[in-house]
Amino acid sequence: MRPFDPRLLTQVPATRKPVVALGAIGVVQGLATIGLAFALTNLVVAVVEGREVVTPGVWLVGLFAVRALLAMANELVGSWAGLRVSTVLRERLIAAWMGRDADSRPEAGRAQALATQGMTSIEPYVARYLPALVSGAFLPLLAIGTLLLVDWPSALIVALTVPLLPVFAALIGHTTEKSTQRRWQALSALSGHFLDVMRGLPTLSSYGRAEAQVETIATVSRRHRLATMQTLRLAFMSAAALELLATISVALVAVTVGIRLANGAMPLGTAMLAILLAPEAYWPIRRVGAEFHAAADGAVALDDVLGELAPTPSRPNTADRAFSAVEEAETRDPRCSVVVGGVTYSYPGAATDVLSDLSLEVPIGLTVVTGPSGAGKSTLLELLAGLRSPSAGTVSAPRSHLVTQRPFLAPGTVRDNLTLGNDSTDDELWDMLREVGLDGMVAALDQGLDTRLGDDGFGLSAGQRARLTLARAALSSAPLVLLDEPTAHLDEESAVLAHHLIQRLAELRTVVAVTHRPELLALADKHVQLLLRPTATLAEVRA
Amino acid sequence: MTTSGGRAVLGAGLLGGIATASGIALTATSGWLIVRASERPVILMLLTAIVAVRTFGMARPVFRYWERLRSHDVALADLADRRATAYARLIPLTPARLGRRGRADLLTGVVDDLSDVVDAQVRVTVPILSTIVASVLAVIVAALLSPRAGLVVAAMSTVTVAIFVLGWRLETRSQQTLLAARSEVARVTALVAGNASELQAIGAQGQAQSWLVTAHADLRRAAGRQSYGRAAAAGLLLLLTAAGTIAMTAAILPGVGAAISTPVAALLVLMPIALGDAFSTLPDAMRALARSQASAVRLHAMLDQQPAVRAAGVLSLDTQTDPQTDTPSGMPSRILVSDLTAAWAGTAPDVGPLDLEVQRGQHLAITGPNGCGKSTLLAVLARHLDPTGGDYRLGDDDALQLELGQARQVFAVLDDEPHLFASTLRANLQLARPGSADPDLVEAMTNAGLGQWFGDLALGLDTVIGSGGRGVSGGERARLGLARCLVSERPVLLLDEPVAHLDHTTAEAVLGDLTRSTTERSVIMVSHRPDGLAGFDRVIGLSRP
Repeated sequence: MRPFDPRLLTQVPATRKPVVALGAIGVVQGLATIGLAFALTNLVVAVVEGREVVTPGVWLVGLFAVRALLAMANELVGSWAGLRVSTVLRERLIAAWMGRDADSRPEAGRAQALATQGMTSIEPYVARYLPALVSGAFLPLLAIGTLLLVDWPSALIVALTVPLLPVFAALIGHTTEKSTQRRWQALSALSGHFLDVMRGLPTLSSYGRAEAQVETIATVSRRHRLATMQTLRLAFMSAAALELLATISVALVAVTVGIRLANGAMPLGTAMLAILLAPEAYWPIRRVGAEFHAAADGAVALDDVLGELAPTPSRPNTADRAFSAVEEAETRDPRCSVVVGGVTYSYPGAATDVLSDLSLEVPIGLTVVTGPSGAGKSTLLELLAGLRSPSAGTVSAPRSHLVTQRPFLAPGTVRDNLTLGNDSTDDELWDMLREVGLDGMVAALDQGLDTRLGDDGFGLSAGQRARLTLARAALSSAPLVLLDEPTAHLDEESAVLAHHLIQRLAELRTVVAVTHRPELLALADKHVQLLLRPTATLAEVRA
Repeated sequence: MTTSGGRAVLGAGLLGGIATASGIALTATSGWLIVRASERPVILMLLTAIVAVRTFGMARPVFRYWERLRSHDVALADLADRRATAYARLIPLTPARLGRRGRADLLTGVVDDLSDVVDAQVRVTVPILSTIVASVLAVIVAALLSPRAGLVVAAMSTVTVAIFVLGWRLETRSQQTLLAARSEVARVTALVAGNASELQAIGAQGQAQSWLVTAHADLRRAAGRQSYGRAAAAGLLLLLTAAGTIAMTAAILPGVGAAISTPVAALLVLMPIALGDAFSTLPDAMRALARSQASAVRLHAMLDQQPAVRAAGVLSLDTQTDPQTDTPSGMPSRILVSDLTAAWAGTAPDVGPLDLEVQRGQHLAITGPNGCGKSTLLAVLARHLDPTGGDYRLGDDDALQLELGQARQVFAVLDDEPHLFASTLRANLQLARPGSADPDLVEAMTNAGLGQWFGDLALGLDTVIGSGGRGVSGGERARLGLARCLVSERPVLLLDEPVAHLDHTTAEAVLGDLTRSTTERSVIMVSHRPDGLAGFDRVIGLSRP
């Protein structure tokens, strides 16, 4: 893994400022550290030689004050920068997924893991690892450069020994890579066990199997302890070895300085300075190693997110597609706002097509799609909505609003849910609720439009959900409205209301509805019947 | 923590103290050595100091290594104990005291909290002990060289304690706000990332992104406030180091050349700097302390709850089992509830008074708005919660007088998040009834509507499911939960919104499979959605008490 991925700065410019700020603080901190070594040397020499101590004392306090300010800035900026980068990346990631079709996104579980814990693990990477990296790259050079001016033999020793640290670290890493990887796999399996039985406690308990797990937990935890200690022993050992290497290198400087000092070939101040400067070349490098260990998750997540954010030219973005599609549509027959040309679609990895070579022109008005289950009706709507991209052929369609068979309801109020995808006023909401026959139900709720829906709120029946989401579709300004079985769960009375609304929508917009209801079919301006192909059996299994 | 564990932590702290003290001594004695060498003595005079410097230089990494091994080993041993203990304490609290929804996430929180609490030993206790040991040694050595120098080092250590407390209080102050902001970001992110297609479908991408932006703004605000504590501590510690160095210089200056030799003077002037270096680990310890304390509070609030059931019953269940018929064994002739009231906490009843009778083999659905006590009733029936009044009979027996394990064995409970363990399909089903034969498991899956799904599995019952295994859809998961109920052969099924998370079509299909496969058994289902109830003999509506 690379120490720093420059794609972070090129792909996500918003991260430049935080990263640069942290780097700048690191550089100034390095300068102050070197300055402090001078001030401290002067103070000690003044005390020893009985000269006045006020001037070096003032310098020392001043430089410490600077370092104190820098340390505070480092904490504040580090915390700010860590969050800034991780939140910007999370927002960019979500935005990227939102602009992409379903087949070019990771599946929901992996997407959630990357967007939540993954992005959070980038915080320590930025807040702690990157500053360590900056001082690890800058401070050793600065220390060696200063030493060169102060006492070149010491500089030579340091310059020759400092590269040993990263080389040594890489060597340890390389020789232990395989066993470490094997251990990590074993470790994650062992540590996953407790989480698994914990999350499953209600299930185990309801079958009276929970008590039996206590002993298992103890056994697995013991094995986890042994395996972890094996891994840690290696990590601690290599950290100790690097520290020892650094100590020996500083000792080499000290010995040469000491001999020259004892021979009278060197003033005390120079010797003191060399001894104080030499360690500043080593510890920043060791700190990089230590912080990298803690930020490894962040590095992996960063790699993943940059991969996701990398431009993928193969799959067109829905926003662009809709834009170009509108233009294209305007050049054609103005009554045909939707044109499907020779479209074939198969699910990623599937051998057979759900739709093959389908061509269709849909005018303004109500188009009803019918066909047996598995003929690809829902897939057709998803293609028209741009949620999926055809494997072959073209779809041109304006901005759309699709009511799926499982429409999204957010854990929020009735108003929150009705205004998803539109910004209607309360009056417009009530008018629309009246049109779908839900005004009485909502008015009877304790808090009207402010009543919360969902797990900890009011539960809607399937029919109420269908009417609420149909109302939402009607409130949207999308010129293309796609409805997947909009009235399947409605009683006769509600269905009449809903069909009336659909008919009214179709006067001004293009409405495509998949339905089994003959009443809705009777209202249609155009009827598309999808036939079950031999290949459709697979689609049915998948549905 | 056990006494031996406590001793081990003390031991690790002592080792860490030696390592830290070696670092301080290394800097200080190097100063002595340089100044002494500049006086050009006979080289033999320096030998002791050279050996000392070398020893301190070697001791620091060696003792640090030893301390880290010890402290991590102790912490892991402690973690193992605490995990088993916490798990055992959670069992009697399950499920009634784990809340209505999102139990799995709640339990994940317990796992994280346990890690945080144990982490405090490595990140808080050992560094603080090490610092104390090193400070005490430094005070003693400085005082032996010059009493006034000892005073300076002691004062510096005392002020450090004050800085630590200040920083810790600042850190703790905003801990709760920060945790709330973090979990809100996680909730919004999971919601948006998990429903990307649905949000795209209705053109709500922009709104979804604005939820995230709002949650992020709150998080940044909270985190900004939180970082003041650490920033203040880090800055103050450096100012203290400067003050300590100046105070030390002033304290020893009159004695230099007289009571204090010049090499010793160099040693003492360098000492506050070395000490300040050792203190620089404290802001991290402070942060870990605030975090682990918040976790400990949550953990105790969870584990210190009273179980919702007193296991006082001793009677055996009187059942009329006929091995010749298909009737599942242990089935009481009826479930009878009269004038029943129950409450999760306090005295205000969450359900009832209520009368209810369910005959053997009957399918009953109970619907009603949230808060009408459906789940409370189910918890009482399953013997997860004691009633506060009224009568509850299984057959002719008073259910409360029955031995708890026996009473619970009458019921198989299915909720909307049946857990799939990271194991084979066989193990996941057998946990409902250990020792069940493979054909029984396959039959249960077929009856639960999983016949075709199972037929497609190349590895059959050896297929690994759960985390890291084969992916299972929501509908398949609900059906696997149902299959588990069937395998258990328990005579009464209690269904607590088993399809709450499924879309309507799948929900109806699952409920259809359920009613078809349980004709021999009694079924009581509660639901806040009044649909999908076609296969039930009776539907009753419940209103708020």
